[in-house]
Amino acid sequence: MTSTFGTLNTAYRGLSAASTGLGVVGENISNASVDGYTRQRVTTSSIEAVQNGLFTKGTTIGQGVSVDGVARLADATADAQVRSTASAAGYSSVRSDALSTLETGLNEPGTSGLSTQLSNFWSAWSDVSNAPGKTAPATALLGQANSIVQTIAAGYQSVSDQWSSARSSVDTLATQLNQDGAQIADLNTQIRTGLQTGSNVNELLDKRSLLTEDVAKLAGGTVHQNTDGTVDVLVGGNALVSGDTARTVQVTGAKTLDGSAASPVQLEWTHRPGASVGLDGGSIAGTLSVLAPASTDGSGTGGVLAEAASSYNALATQLATTVNAVHETGATASGATGTDFFTLSTSAPAALGLSVLPTDASQIASAAPGSGALDGSVADKIHQIGISATAPDKTWASFVTSTGSLAKAAITGSDRATTAATNAKTQQASGASVDLDEENVNLLTFQHAYQGAARMMTAVDSMLDTLINHMGLVGMS
Amino acid sequence: MLGRVTNQTAAMAASRGLQANAARLAQLQSQASSQKAITVPSDDPTATGQSLQVRAEQTQNAQYTRNATDAEGWLSTTDSALSNTTNILNRIRDLTVQGANDGTMSATSREAIATELTGLKSDLLAAANTQFQGRSIFAGTSDAGVAFSPETTTTDPSTGVVTTVPPAFTGTTGSTVQRRVGDSTTVAVDTDGSKVFGTGSDSVFSMIDGIVSDLRSGVNVNPQIAKIDSRLDTVRGAWAGVGTRQAQVERTQDTLASASTSLENQRSSVEDIDLGQVILKLQTQNVSYQAALAVTAKVIQPTLMDFLK
Repeated sequence: MTSTFGTLNTAYRGLSAASTGLGVVGENISNASVDGYTRQRVTTSSIEAVQNGLFTKGTTIGQGVSVDGVARLADATADAQVRSTASAAGYSSVRSDALSTLETGLNEPGTSGLSTQLSNFWSAWSDVSNAPGKTAPATALLGQANSIVQTIAAGYQSVSDQWSSARSSVDTLATQLNQDGAQIADLNTQIRTGLQTGSNVNELLDKRSLLTEDVAKLAGGTVHQNTDGTVDVLVGGNALVSGDTARTVQVTGAKTLDGSAASPVQLEWTHRPGASVGLDGGSIAGTLSVLAPASTDGSGTGGVLAEAASSYNALATQLATTVNAVHETGATASGATGTDFFTLSTSAPAALGLSVLPTDASQIASAAPGSGALDGSVADKIHQIGISATAPDKTWASFVTSTGSLAKAAITGSDRATTAATNAKTQQASGASVDLDEENVNLLTFQHAYQGAARMMTAVDSMLDTLINHMGLVGMS
Repeated sequence: MLGRVTNQTAAMAASRGLQANAARLAQLQSQASSQKAITVPSDDPTATGQSLQVRAEQTQNAQYTRNATDAEGWLSTTDSALSNTTNILNRIRDLTVQGANDGTMSATSREAIATELTGLKSDLLAAANTQFQGRSIFAGTSDAGVAFSPETTTTDPSTGVVTTVPPAFTGTTGSTVQRRVGDSTTVAVDTDGSKVFGTGSDSVFSMIDGIVSDLRSGVNVNPQIAKIDSRLDTVRGAWAGVGTRQAQVERTQDTLASASTSLENQRSSVEDIDLGQVILKLQTQNVSYQAALAVTAKVIQPTLMDFLK
């Protein structure tokens, strides 16, 4: 047997559950397009009937509905997938961007690239060989030589500038990582407190989930869920965030390309200077790999920028050595022998220190000593360098094609990693994002539930009215 | 597995699809407008390597063609100089034969022949000093300006004796002027003036001086004819050599011209796009992009809101 007022209470519970449901639908709809928002559901359960005592008899009915909480419909597996693919995508997109910029700067293949200038340089020697001592071909040759010197220097400079900009971006990324760590630690505290007091922490969890994803994008790593609701974020096996404390990282090492071989750039824990953080992915790891020094064994497996710079240096040195070796055997118009054509400054990298010594036709040694002053056989020998198997052109071509292959592999890899990251993101959104159709259906459901509960109240009210006001009044008017 | 489809995933998929379509369209447009299949090495690293190689060969080919043209200039100048020399020597031979007829020649006639021979000698000197683009073609690698120094005449003021120094060879013997017309082919374009015209007392100028002085002093010049004949042989021999080299240069020019065409074909096949194919792809891509836009516009609009009253 239920009490009359008990039924009113049941109806009230229904009203309250429906209005909570409507509130959650409202929250979902208003956050439908918010990045990182995870859809929520009100969870309800029926309240069981009051159990009969030993001596009470009769049927009892339940006591209505109870609002248990607001659930956040996140999928931990999908979140972990998003983080791991974001880490791979962050790493490879930095590398593919760096290689794309590098190869665009080569201007190959085309008429403005270094290979065309080298070919024209050798041709200019042939013209000098045809008309030794003449001003026109000599001026053309010196102009071509100076243009090669400038192109090599400009190429080296642009690699060095790219290195510097990557170096300052890695500082920014490390700062961002530290900020993310601090915010996660802060959110951990709030979430723990919230859970202990039983309040709703869904929005805080959304924020923290976005931040852990950002950490994965920056530095890879893994996330561990603790029983008190906090998470630990591990980077390179060590905790960046542990409960409510966050550790910081810093970037150390050279600030310029030229100093990077002696003092490589690395990411360190602030509390343990000298030990590098073993990153397993993310854009910081990508940037550090781009900034790595060149390999010492000449295998070309070091950082792409340092390898490119050392290729420019090798080209400058080879050009100077091979041309000088032949030029020294020749005689100038005045009979001077043993003169150099190129010179390398010892105080700068070879690519920047290369310069042309002769300033006019009289200083070009185009003749073989002992033959007439208008002999061009040495100039012809220098022209022959261009078609030899050890030509600087070959060094340059192999650098261009290997950079192209690296860039192609990096671009394909980055496309693949980005697709994987997008798929993981779609997978996550498919579970967690708000569907307006679904919310509309829920809206109607809760609206009707509310109306039903209200009608229930009216019915009880009317029943009580009959009972209280109209009973025992038969015949009274 | 087809997961739950929400407004957000539908919008993400739509924008991803449109982005991919637009990217392909942009790539095709850039190919069609630049006409280049390779704009950066990563488009095709292998083809980039080939392209660099072919371009270097094209530059070399152009240089060899320029060298061959220069060589042809040298050789044809030499050809006409030697033809000139032969004509002059033939005239000298005629005059010498005429002067050898002792019996019928008066001293005046001999003097006339001697005067003409002296004139022919300076013509011969001019031929020996023929230049091509400022270079003496018979002087090898020398920079003396002329292959044979001009004749000098000094008169001893006390005795009144006139000493004549015949033109002397100023070139560098043993060094030749070469033009490179192939990776391993060179052509000698000069002709050794010391061999063609002789040096010292053996030179053609000393020979003419000898004939002139014999004529003036009444000595029979008949023995000189053999010397002229031998000189003519030498000149004709050199002339034939020039002809041979000229033919070689012309053959090389033909080879270089056909190599230039084939190299340009190679470069084009490596670097350039097939325009018809790209335009066809561009049209197809354009259609699919527009279809994607239209479908997206239709799909992304309606929600349940539109049908609820």
